[in-house]
Amino acid sequence: MTDSAETQMVLTFALDGETFAIPVGHVDEIIDPLPITRAPNADAFAPGLINVRGAIAPFVDLRHRLGMRPAEVQEASRVLVLDLVVGGEATKVAMLADDVADITETAVADLEAVPELGVRWPIDLIRGVAKKDGALVIVLDVDAAFAPQNLQ
Amino acid sequence: MNPAAESFVQESRDILEDLEGIVLELEADPSDPKRIDAVFRALHTLKGSGGMFGFATLAAFTHHFESAYERIREGKAAVTPELIQLSLASRDHLERMLDAGPDEDGTPATDPATAELVAKIEAMDNSSAPVSAKAANCACFTITFKPEPTALRNGMRPELLIAELQELGDATVSVSTVDVPLLRDLDPAVCHLSWMIELETAADRDAIDDVFIFASDWQIDVQQVEAGTGSDLPAPASSRAESVADSSKSDTSDAARGAQKTDSVRVPSHRLDELMDQLGELVIAQARLNRISTDLGDAGLSSTAEEIERLVTGLRDATLSIRMLPIELVFGKFRRVVRDLSTELGKDVQLSTLGGETEVDKNVIDSLTEPLVHIIRNSIDHGIESPEERRAAGKADRATVAMRARQAGGEVLISVTDDGKGLDAEAIRARGIERGLIAADQDISEDQLFGLIFEPGFSTAKALSSVSGRGVGMDAVRRVIDDLHGAVEVKSVKGRGTEVTLRLPLTLAIIDGLLVKVAGGPFVLPLSNVEECVELPCDENERQSGRSILRIRDQLVPFLSLDTLFGFDRIESSERRVVITSVEGRRTGLVVDEVIGQYQTVIKPLSLYHRGIEGLAGSTILGDGAVALILDAAAIVRRAQNALKSAA
Repeated sequence: MTDSAETQMVLTFALDGETFAIPVGHVDEIIDPLPITRAPNADAFAPGLINVRGAIAPFVDLRHRLGMRPAEVQEASRVLVLDLVVGGEATKVAMLADDVADITETAVADLEAVPELGVRWPIDLIRGVAKKDGALVIVLDVDAAFAPQNLQ
Repeated sequence: MNPAAESFVQESRDILEDLEGIVLELEADPSDPKRIDAVFRALHTLKGSGGMFGFATLAAFTHHFESAYERIREGKAAVTPELIQLSLASRDHLERMLDAGPDEDGTPATDPATAELVAKIEAMDNSSAPVSAKAANCACFTITFKPEPTALRNGMRPELLIAELQELGDATVSVSTVDVPLLRDLDPAVCHLSWMIELETAADRDAIDDVFIFASDWQIDVQQVEAGTGSDLPAPASSRAESVADSSKSDTSDAARGAQKTDSVRVPSHRLDELMDQLGELVIAQARLNRISTDLGDAGLSSTAEEIERLVTGLRDATLSIRMLPIELVFGKFRRVVRDLSTELGKDVQLSTLGGETEVDKNVIDSLTEPLVHIIRNSIDHGIESPEERRAAGKADRATVAMRARQAGGEVLISVTDDGKGLDAEAIRARGIERGLIAADQDISEDQLFGLIFEPGFSTAKALSSVSGRGVGMDAVRRVIDDLHGAVEVKSVKGRGTEVTLRLPLTLAIIDGLLVKVAGGPFVLPLSNVEECVELPCDENERQSGRSILRIRDQLVPFLSLDTLFGFDRIESSERRVVITSVEGRRTGLVVDEVIGQYQTVIKPLSLYHRGIEGLAGSTILGDGAVALILDAAAIVRRAQNALKSAA
């Protein structure tokens, strides 16, 4: 780690074999997968709703936005419940991760810009790339990555 | 702002609202002394309490306003149309002063708008009849009062009260320090003083009571003294020597109103919303409890669950009734709107209201003003003819706009009727064709034709004016009413007038629904749109495409499968049913996989991710914890009808 004061705690999780990270401040809780109610005529990014302990949260499919194949729910799969501000409204949003790794510290100054080429996902969803134990951690731009389709 | 000042602002707003109504009534009957008194009293209260809570500018301005009415009360001036106009303008000005908040340093400020109004009021004073000799009706009062210990901490200022009493007449003020403790026990923030004032005044007892209106919890005693100049006093004043604190028991209508007010409690509306939220959770938990109790089959548990269900239902009804407000609150605002608009447009229009006592959920009330303003503007601007045209058509010069409200089943119907020239069906048809909303040769009913006026951007061009051509149209009306899960209808007879009717649900928070399953997922259809459920004929089940029509008691009803409409894969079900819905008088069948039953449910709004989807009104949590989507029957049926049309 560098001695920069600008560090941030992030939660890392796995999607389709890659490691992604979002700031822990946005993570409300991590729960076991629950049944999803499909919303008719919804866009593929927000296909349904989920009951998070008595509160209804939209369920979003980050894999779809990142251009990945749909995932099956595995034993290690978890639902991340996120606290986001969407279109000016505080909203709880649920998403499925293949696995939740851990919480780690990243230095904001250390983030490397995403190379224009050679990335499979839309770069405007990503704030930067950090290295952890020699592996790449992709830090998401939360606002862009979770923006509703119609507000994108 | 401190709490006392906040409560002053809130109460003052009520006073100003009442004041507007009274002034408008006074306009209709300028000689009514009761109304003149009422205006005077309202202003007096504002002046007194305004000064007390640091609204010095407001108090100073009100003083001028009040003086004008004092002269009328004393018979030295008459109620004129100019006075009414000026009173309304002054009232609006006071409202702006309240919005501006208390003065920084407690001294009256001067601004051009205030000065202009004051000049007008004074000009009116000077133009009225010369002052007659001052009436010698003086009475003497001995007033003693001791502020509450916490009064100073709450922002009350006794010295301003005393100053106000001094304004009423000759006052001798003495202060009592007997309750002041020794210095070592003295809490400087507590008021230990009491005052005695001997007042010789032409004002009556009510005027003194008004001074203390915001200090009703103090120890106050007002005694009228028989001696002195007041020997020829009218009898009622001397018989009213009870203490001010008891004034609510006296028989004057004002005091009775005061007493009524103490029976009600002001609650910020967000607390009611919180209560409603909690109740919603409770209803959901109750459904879960019922399910568990049914599964377990324990007699003791099920009787307890039943009792809790009964209590929850009672609690729900009681909570909903707290949120219900009379629609008069909305109607009241329109007396002014109609008056101002008719003046602006040079038309003579009276407003009549009926059914103002009909109660509607607070959230519905809050959203109603804007659409009603659009409708009334349209009526007065486009519907109502000029006085000359009316005379030519053999109508009375004065046009009438009527607002009516009534409850019908689970809905409230609010209609705005005018006796103007009615809608021009030909102009609407021409405009509809021009805008591509209908085909040139399309044969549509008059009702459907009139419905076009609610389409965005629909405006018959020649009808634009400064009032209703502001880029806000009837489409805004429909949008708001749609959001409230209501409907809007329009009827019109050429030359006779137009009636716009809003149909609104009683409450937005809880709906009675029919729980159904489509492709394995639970959905709730609002019961208000459901007419009946019928079996799906077996051969129809096989049909994959084309127009599907059911015959129900000699009526043909088109129907469509919800899974098709939703783009879901069809699942095998032996219990497929057709739910016959009725939207805007038209029946449409929706095929579902299973009808589970009636279900009362709390509507949770959808997040931004799903809010834009046509046909969804909200979501709810079922007894088993699953999330169900609440359907917007009107939108679903619109979608279904479009789908049926394209399939045909």
